[in-house]
Amino acid sequence: MSSLDHRTANKQADRKIVTFSLGHQTFGIDMHSLIEIREWEEPTPLPTVPSFIKGVTNLRGNVVPVIGLAERLGWEPSKIHARSCVLVVSIGEKQAGFLVDEVSDIVSIGDQEIQPAPDVEIGEPSVILGLVRVESRTMEARGDDTGQMILLLDLDGLSLTRHLELVA
Amino acid sequence: MDEIQGIFFEECAEGLAVAEQGLSAMRAGDLSSETIAGVFRAVHSIKGGAGAFGHAALTAFAHRFENVMDEVRAGRIPATPGVTDVMLSAFDILTDHVAAARGTAPLPQDSAVLAALENVLETKGVGVGGGATAAPAPAPATPDAPQPEAEESDEDEFGFRPVGVALDIFDATEEPVEPDWIIDFAPSHAALANGGEPLLLVREVEALGGSIVSVDLSALPPLREMEPEQSYLRWTIRVPASIEEAALTDCFDFVAPDSLVSIARAESVVPATSAAATDPLDQTSDDIADAEPELSAPVLTLVSTTAPSPSAPTLERASEPAAQTIRVDLIKLDLLLNLVGELVIRNSILADRLTPADQQRVELPELARLTRQIQDNVMSLRAQPIRQAFSRVPRMLRDLSAETGKQVILETTGETTEVDKGVIEKIGDPLTHMIRNAIDHGIEPPADRIAKGKEAQGTIRLSAEQKGARIFVRVADDGRGIDRVRVRAKAIEKGIIQADAQLTDEEIDQLICAPGFSTAETISNISGRGVGMDVVRSNVEALGGRVEIASTPGEGTTFTMILPLTLAILDGMIVRLGGQRYVLPLANVIETVQPAPGQVKRTSPTNEVIDMRGQYLPVKRATDIFDLPGSNRSLEDSLVVIVESESAGHVGLIVDTIDDRREVVIKSLDQNLYPIRGLGGATILGDGSIALILDIEALVASNSFNRFTPKGIAA
Repeated sequence: MSSLDHRTANKQADRKIVTFSLGHQTFGIDMHSLIEIREWEEPTPLPTVPSFIKGVTNLRGNVVPVIGLAERLGWEPSKIHARSCVLVVSIGEKQAGFLVDEVSDIVSIGDQEIQPAPDVEIGEPSVILGLVRVESRTMEARGDDTGQMILLLDLDGLSLTRHLELVA
Repeated sequence: MDEIQGIFFEECAEGLAVAEQGLSAMRAGDLSSETIAGVFRAVHSIKGGAGAFGHAALTAFAHRFENVMDEVRAGRIPATPGVTDVMLSAFDILTDHVAAARGTAPLPQDSAVLAALENVLETKGVGVGGGATAAPAPAPATPDAPQPEAEESDEDEFGFRPVGVALDIFDATEEPVEPDWIIDFAPSHAALANGGEPLLLVREVEALGGSIVSVDLSALPPLREMEPEQSYLRWTIRVPASIEEAALTDCFDFVAPDSLVSIARAESVVPATSAAATDPLDQTSDDIADAEPELSAPVLTLVSTTAPSPSAPTLERASEPAAQTIRVDLIKLDLLLNLVGELVIRNSILADRLTPADQQRVELPELARLTRQIQDNVMSLRAQPIRQAFSRVPRMLRDLSAETGKQVILETTGETTEVDKGVIEKIGDPLTHMIRNAIDHGIEPPADRIAKGKEAQGTIRLSAEQKGARIFVRVADDGRGIDRVRVRAKAIEKGIIQADAQLTDEEIDQLICAPGFSTAETISNISGRGVGMDVVRSNVEALGGRVEIASTPGEGTTFTMILPLTLAILDGMIVRLGGQRYVLPLANVIETVQPAPGQVKRTSPTNEVIDMRGQYLPVKRATDIFDLPGSNRSLEDSLVVIVESESAGHVGLIVDTIDDRREVVIKSLDQNLYPIRGLGGATILGDGSIALILDIEALVASNSFNRFTPKGIAA
């Protein structure tokens, strides 16, 4: 049983990342966490919540919060436009929707390609899992080989209840 | 494998609950054979499962316990209070052993209790099995469940099956003599998929001296049709006559349901086709090998006296009488509930889109009624008696009494109140803290109580009742009550309140729920770590409930957890606040008024009242409380809904408009988010959009959530 676990673990070392843009930055999340990508639809606003929580939306009978990810990470709030979409992800046992500017690509990376993020974050540890440099398909097509930096997000760090747990 | 272990521990928990209930009933004087047999069976299945998973210490202890229980069950040892007490302490140790096997606790010291059990066996066991105390009692051919023999096989050679099955059908009705045993064994098709290991069972029988006479391969499909997780084989095994029947039945103690198992003497051989060997036929056992099985019509015959209808799976009847249940993954139930919720919503969409005449024409009302019934039923599947949460209390009280020297009687009422399983799981910890708190801080030592003219024994009343859509769980003690002077002094010392804070008695009582508050002079290992009541409050609030404290100095303290019945349907009024739709629970609504000019008056810059036929009721602006846009809407354009609240009586709530009245399905916000003060949840309306459900109690308790600070705590 355990040898089987090892095999699958090794196989998963090559992980798939969904990349998307927020303003001029490119971020990535592990594809395993992604449930679906939806078009932006105005959620039902919630009273007395931090402004980055845009509200809740109906995801097949589940009430799922929609997070303004840019704002959550300390950037300028995203403006809604035609390509705005919501990445529905699972964080632990909970689900959340992240408002992003545009979904870009799906890339495969090895764990060894992830560099730890230097400590220049937004006063909050472990939201960024690490940095990865990738060449996207469109860049290859253009013959551009400078690559692009992706900020790989740690979804657990973005859990909405994390601050509650820290307080408790 | 872990999953199967998980099932085993789940079954242990259920078994322990049954045993504790039974033992408590015995202690209270209920010595009916059903009660005693129930305890016996519970202990027996724990032992069996423990053996299968190789938990040697647990198995050994359960075995001793079971021996005594068996003697009691057979009437050879009278269930005197003394004996029952020994069994209760044995039960406690058994619980610890289960926890140890699970890895959540260290191995308990069981030698004292083991000695006590031995003593019971030795002194009272004058009956059949009383000769050698250390030896397992001989298997009595009682109609309940055979006493397993051969300790060795119990501990080491057990089968793999975590599915508990009673052994009724294996009654030893024949003379245990001469001919060899013939076992016919066909695991259910799903056995492997369910985690069963038929091969281990067969090997186990072989280890007892059995030899395989034949294996029926006729059910094997062609290779390409073969499902790797199905079992197609059927074994016929011969076992020497000298082996005890109980040892054989033990081997099959944990076979998958729907498996065919028959154990009979060889003279009663039948062709393997019609399964079991019961009726004496003229074939010799050798014929079995030659008998060409025809599986077209599997006829299941059973051992002599217990033949059920031939079409019934052999072991179906064997499930214990109390367990007319089926184990279902909670996730499946939740999924079902969600889908039914969707169905309800589709129903209301239809109702929205069809004219009343069309609704009648397509019989929509009937469909709606049916849907509602399905929903009620699905929700009742998740509801469990709160007894599950209460069941750990007696044990805790015994431990705490022993530790503190305080004597406590427990009175429990309302344990059959049904609550959603999710709530039951989450009130365990708060309940534990409340009980500990009551014993540690509430109940006085016996000498103090006598000095105060009270009974030496303290009483803790544990109760549950449903009122409307809420469950009230109370822990009431008759102890010394909250010492408000000391609580206040402590709160000042800890910096929780200012030294000059003016607090009411209720506010002082609430302080004991403040984070970091503890009045215990010395930190005991019972409570007093300064987390207890704080944890209670945060856990209960996380469930969308609240904690109330009522205390009378010298007479006692009552803690009440007021919890929502989650996942329920709510009769709601759809109102608009700041343009957004919200649901107001109709149960709270008294009446609605369009305020006339001058009917609403200010009593302070932040407080208003409404004149209702000469009676002045406080008025709250919901948009202000939530700080929503549109707060400056004129009063003449608004409506006042008079609501009834537990804490503040009748209160007027100003809303923009009222849209509709309808039944809504409550969806919790904290499933994917966290509880939001003032909201009881959310619901999905007919058009698929979400409306938030207002929590009246929280709303009327405050003027503004943004500025909210806990009551009585210095701002």
